[in-house]
Amino acid sequence: MNDYDFHVILDGAYPNVPRADDRKSNYIDLPNDYYDSDLGQKVMEDQLEQFVSLERLGFDGAIVSEQHNGPIGLWGNPMLAGAYLAGRTNNITIGVVGPLINAYRTPVRLAEEIANLDILTRGRLLFGLPLGHGMQHHSLGVMNSAEARERYLESHDLLMAALTRPGPFEWKGEYFNVPYVNLWPRPIQKPHPPIFIPGGGSVETLRLVAKHRYTYQGTLSPRPARIANIARLREFCEEEGYEMDRRQAALVVAVHVAETDAQARLETEAHDLWQYQNFFKSPWHDNFPPGYVSEESLRRSMAGGYRSKPLTDLTYDELVENGWVVAGSPETVADTLTEYLDEMGAGVVVLAMNVGTKPKWLADKSLALFAEQVIPRMRRGGRPRWAGGELPGHETLAQFGARRSAARPAAPRPTAYVDGRLIDVETSHLEELRHADGN
Amino acid sequence: MTDQKSPSEDRWPHYTAPEFVDVAGTSVAYRRRGTGDALLFLHGLGPTRIWQPMLEQLAGIHDVIAPEHPGFGDSPLPRWIRTFDDLVLHYDAFLDLMGVDRVHLVGHGLGGWAAADLALHYPRRFASVTLIAPSGVRLVDTPSIDVFRMLDHEFRSALFNGRDERYAEFLDQEGAPEDAIRALAEGIPTARLSWNPRYDIRLDHRLARISAPSLVLAVEDDRVVPTSSAARFAELIPHSTLHTIPGRPGEPSSHAVALEQPDVVAAAIAAHTTAS
Repeated sequence: MNDYDFHVILDGAYPNVPRADDRKSNYIDLPNDYYDSDLGQKVMEDQLEQFVSLERLGFDGAIVSEQHNGPIGLWGNPMLAGAYLAGRTNNITIGVVGPLINAYRTPVRLAEEIANLDILTRGRLLFGLPLGHGMQHHSLGVMNSAEARERYLESHDLLMAALTRPGPFEWKGEYFNVPYVNLWPRPIQKPHPPIFIPGGGSVETLRLVAKHRYTYQGTLSPRPARIANIARLREFCEEEGYEMDRRQAALVVAVHVAETDAQARLETEAHDLWQYQNFFKSPWHDNFPPGYVSEESLRRSMAGGYRSKPLTDLTYDELVENGWVVAGSPETVADTLTEYLDEMGAGVVVLAMNVGTKPKWLADKSLALFAEQVIPRMRRGGRPRWAGGELPGHETLAQFGARRSAARPAAPRPTAYVDGRLIDVETSHLEELRHADGN
Repeated sequence: MTDQKSPSEDRWPHYTAPEFVDVAGTSVAYRRRGTGDALLFLHGLGPTRIWQPMLEQLAGIHDVIAPEHPGFGDSPLPRWIRTFDDLVLHYDAFLDLMGVDRVHLVGHGLGGWAAADLALHYPRRFASVTLIAPSGVRLVDTPSIDVFRMLDHEFRSALFNGRDERYAEFLDQEGAPEDAIRALAEGIPTARLSWNPRYDIRLDHRLARISAPSLVLAVEDDRVVPTSSAARFAELIPHSTLHTIPGRPGEPSSHAVALEQPDVVAAAIAAHTTAS
């Protein structure tokens, strides 16, 4: 039995929008007049509550995503959701994928947020570094697709240097010049929290993942393309001089579990079709703003290498056949997923189990069945990764005390001049210790 | 040119083989015809790799030099051309290589923006300036036109106000998908220069530096650059004249006015250059 990590991605889509047929796209410029405050609040609260419930169900982790200017997801900054979830959960890995690094004026600010969130989660943070899909380059006024990849790569390098290198140091790049990179606080996880890189198969992204031993989170491609992408990743890892770990390959897939195959289809079919017909429809220039992909990739895509059929035209049977959707009884889902993951050589599955229109109670039912009846079929004993383990951050004052004295015996002591004498502030309330010099 | 065909004149209508010159390490494709005072024409968005009829008319009285911007037509896009400032230095060097000193300057659309920038950086180099439906100034109260979100056929239509089928001779070159790929590829330098911001607020102050006699040609219904952009340029450039080119009866003139009415536009430019 192979070993897999089980994550759930919760996009939190907003359901009540016009059909995309009548529009070029439901991204970018769908008037926010369609946004209703009560419904929006419910969507986000449902999303967060569902996230919290995943810990008790026994998933290893869950992920919230970053979206802009449209109903596909309502977190412009998923770090905020992460901060809330840090306080509502104790053990589950909290995945934040975003953040869009090109949306930041400086990657150092993102490094600070990552460190803060890693501390709030006591070392349970996992973050993603998506380039951002084409549509997102229209909405913030600071992302230019023509320079997106170059800026992304330098941002990545500066971010990782800020997180891992001792400061202060100077950064002299093409896009950023920071006289003093000197991160306070620093993340708990060493050398840094785990990183997922979402990608649609571009060579640039696969090479980045291979070079830095990150996890590739392949999205929005049919099954053969996903398998080919991971095969390519494996080659790039070999070129880097090591063998790809299965946990470097993540499969993101829509999953629905019910009592029987027929019941699963009945429950999920319309919701899945709604999503593909409405959310993944964008005209060419929105998907590929200038420079977003190279001229060579454009040529390949236009020749039909991108998607053989528009996502909006896929039937439910095609969604299932091409591995966009895995649905059925617990047994069917376990068998299908196992075969799919093993065919890819992937060790991580990221389950999309609640598209925007699916009622929370129905998604909850599917999640519960997955936890109770699918995970045990795929993982002996069913224990989540975190069960019985110790978090990277301390959880009690006693642990703090034990770690503190062991790790930093020679930390500088805080001192102050009182009446002309330098004294140790920490013991200043004890008369007999007031005379001791600080160091 | 590594093309297998000889540099024939018939690859598509209005095609002429370009010449190439190395400008500070980047190859520039250009076409040059005619005799008289030198005239530099900077093209806008729209068809490249042609010698357009308006230029042929101007070549009767001018030494017309028409380069293709880096990343457009047959000119490759070097890494270091990122902003209009880079383009200004590029064209100053290009003119030196053409062996001309003082020239008449004409720019259309995005090329009008480049021409205005060039003229305000080197005000003494230009005998006259003509801007045709130029983009680049901030129009606070006018909705912008998002050329980056137009599909290829929508952009063609916007250029000619829906009359694009009549002008296939300018638009159809290698056919699908090559023409669409070319348009998308030319979007890259366009985005480098003008994705964000989509105007240069410094022009509000800087256009006053243009000292050459200036003519701004507006059109009646511009669907690529807001129609009022031309008037704003004329307001900001001292000693400038604003002239609107009327379309044919019932057909308000378009952004592609120089392709639709080459005689009229060439005559307006010639009247200005000969008077300057």
